Amino acid sequence: MKVKLFSIIVVYILLCLFSLPVNAQNDNSSDKGIKLGGYLQTDNRLCLEGDNEFSWQEYRLGLKAEAKPLEKARFYSEVWLRSWGFPNVQNISDLKDKNMVSTWNLDLREAYVDFYSFLLDNLDIRIGRQRIAWGTGDKFNPTDNLNPYDLEDIWDFGRHLGSDGFKMSYYPGDFTFTVVYIPLFTPSVLPRGNWASALSPPMELPHGLTLGTLTDTIDLPQKNLKEGSTIGIRVSKNIFDFDFSLSYVHARDQLPLANKITFIPTEKHEEVDIKSQLIYPRMNIAGIDLAGAIGSIGIWAEAALFFPEKIKMITDLSSLVMGIHESVALDNKPYIKYVIGMDYTFKNGIYLNVQYLHGFIHERGAANLEDYFMFGLEWKLLDNKLKITPIAGGIEIKEFKDIKNNYAIIYSPMITYYPFDNAEITFGLRLIDGKDTTSFGRVKDYDELFFSLKYNF
Amino acid sequence: MNDKIYFQIIKEDTKMKKITLSIFLMLGIIMSLPQDLPAEKQLTALQILEKVDDVINAPKDQDLKIKLILVDKNGKEKIREMSMLQKGSDKRMVKFLSPANQKGIAFLSLPNDIMYLYLPAFKKVRRIASHVKNTKFAGTDFTYEDIEAIRYLEKYNPELMKKENDSYILQLKPKKEVKTDYSKLVIWIRADNFYPFKIEYYNKNRTLYKIMLREKIEKVNGYWISKESEMEDLKAKHKTKMCIVNVKFDSGILEKQFSKRYLNR
Repeated sequence: MKVKLFSIIVVYILLCLFSLPVNAQNDNSSDKGIKLGGYLQTDNRLCLEGDNEFSWQEYRLGLKAEAKPLEKARFYSEVWLRSWGFPNVQNISDLKDKNMVSTWNLDLREAYVDFYSFLLDNLDIRIGRQRIAWGTGDKFNPTDNLNPYDLEDIWDFGRHLGSDGFKMSYYPGDFTFTVVYIPLFTPSVLPRGNWASALSPPMELPHGLTLGTLTDTIDLPQKNLKEGSTIGIRVSKNIFDFDFSLSYVHARDQLPLANKITFIPTEKHEEVDIKSQLIYPRMNIAGIDLAGAIGSIGIWAEAALFFPEKIKMITDLSSLVMGIHESVALDNKPYIKYVIGMDYTFKNGIYLNVQYLHGFIHERGAANLEDYFMFGLEWKLLDNKLKITPIAGGIEIKEFKDIKNNYAIIYSPMITYYPFDNAEITFGLRLIDGKDTTSFGRVKDYDELFFSLKYNF
Repeated sequence: MNDKIYFQIIKEDTKMKKITLSIFLMLGIIMSLPQDLPAEKQLTALQILEKVDDVINAPKDQDLKIKLILVDKNGKEKIREMSMLQKGSDKRMVKFLSPANQKGIAFLSLPNDIMYLYLPAFKKVRRIASHVKNTKFAGTDFTYEDIEAIRYLEKYNPELMKKENDSYILQLKPKKEVKTDYSKLVIWIRADNFYPFKIEYYNKNRTLYKIMLREKIEKVNGYWISKESEMEDLKAKHKTKMCIVNVKFDSGILEKQFSKRYLNR
């Protein structure tokens, strides 16, 4: 951690130092110096259930640096410096550790260099830690499988980690060809706290047994090119005023999958500890997306056909004298996730965005894909000083034949006030109701009120 | 005697020639006058608008640095800075340089109502449909439609309302196939250079709701340009002043710069 922090600080100091002479030499051209910018964002959330404890506290300083030392080269980086979470003090010695009293972390989100018209006039390359956002859907993108998910804050859905890799874009005529190579696998960040249960189904135990402790081991892919690398190719073109893309990604599932579970009896009667082993299966994903307009309505669609690796599940009940069972954790039958969406701005300025999504990020296999209807309605008032979002959220439906017992509703109204340039204050609610059979229904008891402030500089 | 008669005949003949020549000359002058006057009167609305299109789109390309001053009904001002590139009359790229929360937002308008928006926060170029055309661009009084590159004649049918001493007034009604939120425009055009200096925008209810005034109309490198303009939203009582800080014409901007490839550079 210290080494990482030190490296980032050194890079920033070097950049700042390098920017000085460049600026001095080019008084008339601010384009060639380093441009620094960023924002300060606070985010506080209060749980509406129980003792109304704070469920989230984040103070983030986002720092961005950009430089164009040459016409055909550009550097960009973004770092988050955050005070995040709550004091983690349990004894007096913890009080002597500042990081336990006030937790903080540093996150290098992106740091890359662009070379434009590299070797060929129509060829651009980008090297370094980068976000490669594929797909036309609004935050829900089944074809966006290159960067790992950053699900730390589930309410900031659509956030991904940057990946250390190489991107090459070639522009012959009206076509755009993109090739991406990411040498090493990085796992996704899972949601914190209560939200972890939303993405993992509850553990089913043999009849009569209760769970003691649950431990797990993750087998990361080997750190070599064959096992750890991700490759993606994409071709895009505008046809009949619609933007079309075809893509193919050879990657690993972004979320871990259990392939072995071992039951170990404890000293207590009918109680077992469980050890699970998880892996990241290989996936080949063919994608298609489009965006355009029908009349004055904006539309988009995106579909990804997943070809998963077959993964066996071993359930070791031998300690309970029930043998070792083998089943299928993930079948190699292809399955499709897709999203269809539209947006429209009414005459009075109200903006409507609606999406239908088949298959959420953690769902695998044709039989396990659920349906989601996502919607948002915004209204800007008072010379854009106020943005009201009275309707925002979604409906999850696990089983259409029995909706009554297989639904969840997410509702998150909010108001954003822009008191002056670069400043915004947001206040809102996050309410969830539904059945425990659904992903969001499992977190229905964590409704919250939130307040955030952001200032850009 | 014969000589006298001969010289007299010659004299008279010369005189006749002079008279005939003078008559033809006068006739020529007289005929030339009525030919010139009707030509000016006969300049049709179509011809005037065509000249307007030619004047405002005369440069092969334009590279502008623009300062926007947003003035609300209480007189409070907000400043925005942007760069604008235009190629011909149908390709335009606008990028925000400030304030910080809008820096990097880029808008690309291409023929056939194809528009793209780059929002740095999402790291993605997004296709936007024509429903946004009537919405305000980044809080200014200009809509997305207003900041598109335009040839009026392609979108509007003109009608000459009035010819004043130094200007023409045209009424422009959108063609049937054109998607726009304006029911009509009334446009004032300078007669000497065909540069439009005032535009009234009427909404679908045929109510006047925006007025644009163009001032400081100057010739730069042989091309006419308004260095200061102001768009006023009459209902919101909100104004956006647009000042051209820097202008370059015909600097050789490449066709490929008007593509998604260049939106996030």
